[in-house]
Amino acid sequence: MNKKKTLILIIAFVVIGSVVGFFLNSYIETLVITFLITAMAGMGLNFITGVANQFSLGIAGFMALGAYTSAVLSKLVFNDQWYFVPITILAGGLVAAVAGYLVSLPSFRLKGDYLAIVTLGFAEIVRVMLLNWNFVGGPRGYNFIVKWPNFLAAYSITGLFLMITFFVLYHLKISWFGRNLWALNEDEIAAEVMGTPVANSKRLAFMISSLFSGIAGGFYAHHMGYISPGSFGFIMSVQILIIAVLGGLGSLSGSIVAAAVLTALPELLRSLPTGDTDIRMIVFPILLISLMIWKPSGLFGREEIWRVDWSKIKKLVSKKGVSS
Amino acid sequence: MQEFLQHTLNGLSVGSVYALIALGYTMVYGILAMINFAHSEIYMIGAFGAYYAAQLFKIETPSFFNFTIGLMAALLVSGTVGYLVEKFAYKPLRKTDKLNVLITAIGVSILFQFGGQIIFGANPKRFPSLIDDVPVLTLLEIPINLVDMMIYGVTAVSLVALTYMINKTQTGRAMQAVSSRPDMAPLMGINTDRIITVTFVIGSMLAGVASILVATKYPKIDPMMGIKFGTSAFVAAVFGGIGNLPGAVLGGYLLGIGEIYLVGYGASTYREALSFVILIVVLLFKPTGLMGKTMKEKI
Repeated sequence: MNKKKTLILIIAFVVIGSVVGFFLNSYIETLVITFLITAMAGMGLNFITGVANQFSLGIAGFMALGAYTSAVLSKLVFNDQWYFVPITILAGGLVAAVAGYLVSLPSFRLKGDYLAIVTLGFAEIVRVMLLNWNFVGGPRGYNFIVKWPNFLAAYSITGLFLMITFFVLYHLKISWFGRNLWALNEDEIAAEVMGTPVANSKRLAFMISSLFSGIAGGFYAHHMGYISPGSFGFIMSVQILIIAVLGGLGSLSGSIVAAAVLTALPELLRSLPTGDTDIRMIVFPILLISLMIWKPSGLFGREEIWRVDWSKIKKLVSKKGVSS
Repeated sequence: MQEFLQHTLNGLSVGSVYALIALGYTMVYGILAMINFAHSEIYMIGAFGAYYAAQLFKIETPSFFNFTIGLMAALLVSGTVGYLVEKFAYKPLRKTDKLNVLITAIGVSILFQFGGQIIFGANPKRFPSLIDDVPVLTLLEIPINLVDMMIYGVTAVSLVALTYMINKTQTGRAMQAVSSRPDMAPLMGINTDRIITVTFVIGSMLAGVASILVATKYPKIDPMMGIKFGTSAFVAAVFGGIGNLPGAVLGGYLLGIGEIYLVGYGASTYREALSFVILIVVLLFKPTGLMGKTMKEKI
């Protein structure tokens, strides 16, 4: 990614922010912030599940750790002052990363689906612990968390963190470390023979992923102003998983696009008669199953958006147009 | 002592249900090496099958005959749903990455949970009493109810029948063959697809049996009911060594009894976490589960 593209990205970001901030209503504003947060979490998960090919089902647990740490810290230590919130969010990310290290200890001695099982269990244990911990409200949740003062602050700070997340993860993906992960992904035994430190690479990738998931969780807490153990259930993990899968496992920019699509889609479908049931929970699984059957690589496969060969896609589209 | 015995009996009852569901998880894992996340929803749909059958036949009075009708309906519905899920969601993915199948399974599971909320309604329904839950036996002054007796009995019968089927019948031996060498089994004239379908249907029917037993004992069913028993049963299967039938039963009993002791002696709010704590500890010390065999990886 060269300087010109980076510049375009930043300009687009500022333009979108000012258009939404000055011309549109608070409903759109909330959606935009939600999109930024889910994109961040989606990239965090994509780094471990897509780039490193280690299936994690417990991202909600790491998000919960980040969210609760940041919420409690900002209330008790920083006296609810919003300009300290980025610091508490980072602290939350670090707590999640440490938890990621602990979870990785048993899981990377095993192969296959065990990481999925252990992370699923980890998220469930975190949820039950929070439910039973009265200091953070137990089942009632943690309320009156300091929120951003206005949309502009929320948008610029969350957006800045999203960009940092993207650049850090993208550069890790194309670095020697990312290549190690790619090698593991292709053939673990061959990679080990070539001198790739298998367990340590996976562990580091998992910690990085947990760090950004925790940060995303912190942003979630300060965006909503209220968190409860119920918000970080299995469903949350699956929603983030769908973002990573739809964008393409391994494609970080794909996760951003997918987060935008999946934030907008349920809002467009709001008029459907589903009663009390969340429409997302019908649309998302259908999308997930169809993707796996017809296009398991997601929108962009492993590649970033600007590396996708658009001419091929154009050809495919026009071919279909002719035949139909 | 009496309290302890009472907890043990309750634990055995819960454990039997876990064992029945865990058998389905472990059979599918044994043959396809995939975690069938939708299994707990097949269990849920089995209970709803019995519920609607009871409405259809206007069953009002509990009797053994009515229970049999409910059981047949649960078996039929869960078996059919298991067949359809395998055919439309998993079969197209037979040749692809295992990760894709796992993700699909999660998708199917969530679709059934929330689709169930739309079709059946999100509110819990009262399951009709198909059979009178009367005490039939007294053990050291503790009455044992009919439904509990049936739970013990059905699990034992299912396990014996399954063991017989897998070791003695043609289909069962074919299952073993597909499980140990999926690439070689077709060369021996085994129709792999058919065997996989049969495995799914049998596993789903076991979940159907479990569902009607649970629904009779705790007569409240809702589309999310699969999560509670399904998750614990899944953990039981991994605990006992996933892919191993006696392991699943052992894991189910140990987990069921453990959970009831935990609830009985105080820490009831930690019940949901217990299974996963046990799981992680087991994975730390014996990664393949209690009865799982360590597999050497061939290069």
